[in-house]
Amino acid sequence: MAERKLLLEHSHETSFRTRAGYEQTGGYEGLKKALGMERQAIIDEVKTSGLRGRGGAGFPTWIKWNGLPKEKKTSHFIICNADEGEPGTFKDKELIEKCPFLLVEGMTIAGVATQADAGYIYIRGEYLDGARSLRSAIDEAYKAGYLGKNIMGSGVNFDLYIHMGAGSYECGEETALMSSLMGERGMPRLKFPHAPLPTISGVFEKPTLINNVETYCCAPFILKNGGEWYATLGASTKNSRGTKIFSVSGHVKKPGNYEIEFGTPLQELLEIAGGMVDGDLKFCVPGGSSVPMIKKAEVERAIIGYEEMSEVRSMVGSGGCMFFNDSTCVVTFTWRTAQFYANESCGKCTPCREGTRWMVQILDRILAGGGNPGDAELLQQVASQIDGRSFCPLGDAAAWPVAAALRVFPEEFAYFIENGSSMVTGAKTLAMAP
Amino acid sequence: MSDLIGLQTLSEKPTRLDQSQLKLNFSEAAVSQLEEIKSHYPSEKAAILPALWIAQREYGGFLSSEAIAEVAHRLHRAYAEVEGVATFYSMYNTRHKPGKHKLEVCTCLSCHVNGAYRILDLIEKKLGIRPNETTEDGLFTLEEVECLNACDRAVVMQVGDSYYGPLTESLLDTIIADLKSRTESTVIQMADEIVKVHLPESAV
Ligand SMILES: Cc1cc2nc3c(=O)[nH]c(=O)nc-3n(C[C@H](O)[C@H](O)[C@H](O)COP(=O)(O)O)c2cc1C
Ligand code: SF4
Ligand code: FES
Repeated sequence: MAERKLLLEHSHETSFRTRAGYEQTGGYEGLKKALGMERQAIIDEVKTSGLRGRGGAGFPTWIKWNGLPKEKKTSHFIICNADEGEPGTFKDKELIEKCPFLLVEGMTIAGVATQADAGYIYIRGEYLDGARSLRSAIDEAYKAGYLGKNIMGSGVNFDLYIHMGAGSYECGEETALMSSLMGERGMPRLKFPHAPLPTISGVFEKPTLINNVETYCCAPFILKNGGEWYATLGASTKNSRGTKIFSVSGHVKKPGNYEIEFGTPLQELLEIAGGMVDGDLKFCVPGGSSVPMIKKAEVERAIIGYEEMSEVRSMVGSGGCMFFNDSTCVVTFTWRTAQFYANESCGKCTPCREGTRWMVQILDRILAGGGNPGDAELLQQVASQIDGRSFCPLGDAAAWPVAAALRVFPEEFAYFIENGSSMVTGAKTLAMAP
Repeated sequence: MSDLIGLQTLSEKPTRLDQSQLKLNFSEAAVSQLEEIKSHYPSEKAAILPALWIAQREYGGFLSSEAIAEVAHRLHRAYAEVEGVATFYSMYNTRHKPGKHKLEVCTCLSCHVNGAYRILDLIEKKLGIRPNETTEDGLFTLEEVECLNACDRAVVMQVGDSYYGPLTESLLDTIIADLKSRTESTVIQMADEIVKVHLPESAV
């Protein structure tokens, strides 16, 4: 298999960023169809497609779309999560910069299906190029009657707004994002079953749909070509349909975004990205910094799919796929990963707030040559006490990569603790430069 | 802290500041931009983040307590609430006034393995400052940041709304020379650009 460009097919044509150019490639056919359908039929089409959320968790998209009240009693909102902050991931960046109309059309379709009054695109503050590209797409869509009052003469109203974040990884977590959108600190909210689902009471306490950029970008194709057609993509996998964009980086020759069909071997993704630079593959973090690392042997047999990746004890995650060569010190790498989560912990709950810092302290000590016997076990314990005990999944996401590194490369930790230097690079003190 | 934001005012009327003590610095354009943005949400509170971006621009790239007080006043919120929001987010400059340009160097995973700490070292030497410091001439502030999500260009640095990478010593020299020749602050420019993407063409 090779690349299978669906969402990214026209991403390199600048005309695709204009309404006219977008329409020439079949743009807005999906919305036109949707406007002629019953709302439930739109949702059923998404169900048939087998689309699952591309933001990291892989939750079936249609269940969310179906979850908003059918009998509308109050305002409904939809949100696009464009806060992309998972280290290693840069696919939403490319989508909003180069394919803004896909997102605008996809959100409009979702808005029609869920009777939303308005949509908000929550974009991470740094992504200004993407935000400007979306701004001009939204303005053009309003002018052409694709947004606003009575879209395409259908009687449906739908407004679309841009809301910029201000620097916080945690705001990518959906309930924290809603807090942020409401003008609060980016802290998560109580979740089901302790609180209603967002589809019943989400942003501004109204029924809310939230999806990732890439998820919405699939909707125009599903509506245009039919859910059945979409489901033929990835049919070789257990339960993953369509294409997925992977952001490939690390020690590869051609880092970048590559769109593949589910069912493609992971090894092939590496080849598509030009293979390794300077040395052999040592390990891979296939789905963003939160997912467990896997060794070369697992990379060689891994198939890209939600269920398939769990067979090698990892995940598709956000699609931030990083390959590292044999010059990489796993202890130093784990230290840098742990630092990320400690910096981004919102501080709301104890296991994550204290645990992430504690993990960094232990790793600091090991890297400084002062590791104690038993530090690896201690690290493992702290990680396991964060996992499953945190208020939101950021805690779990902080624990998994550390636990995986300890499980996959125990000898490197043991060596560093005993000798006060890296087994790989030989570096003695806080060896931050690889 | 000045009287302006003193507890006195807050304890009497927790959600409103005494108008007579408040200096309002938002330009006319800023006020109308805020009005437009407020209309995007069912609650005034939701405009806090965009209003802070406006304030960051209007107050020269820094959210001083006066800037925060003005946002609180304009959105009818308590000072402490707006301060709490502003300090949560890393892109709001609340701790110290940044230099004219902020160099934000990513040292996260892909950048790390591609030599980010060596690059950071190099910049420290070139500018004579450590992370979170500003050069004496007030031109540059250096910051180490988490993944900028442009890892395909590792090692990556962001300055204002521009991403640079992969960084090399000669590219760094070019960037620094270019920044020195600019009249406008990239910190203020960026806040302005962020405000503008909230605004529909029809409102500009
Ligand atoms: C700490 C944390 C950060 C997250 N960051 C993002 C993000 O940047 N973008 C995103 O789409 N989802 C992110 N998610 C997942 C969202 O909570 C949510 O599952 C997703 O936006 C749902 O959209 P989907 O169903 O289309 O995947 C994050 C989750 C956590 C716990
Ligand atoms: S796990 Fe707890 S401290 Fe960590 S980000 Fe979530 S709520 Fe905040
Ligand atoms: S690791 Fe530096 S941009 Fe992602």
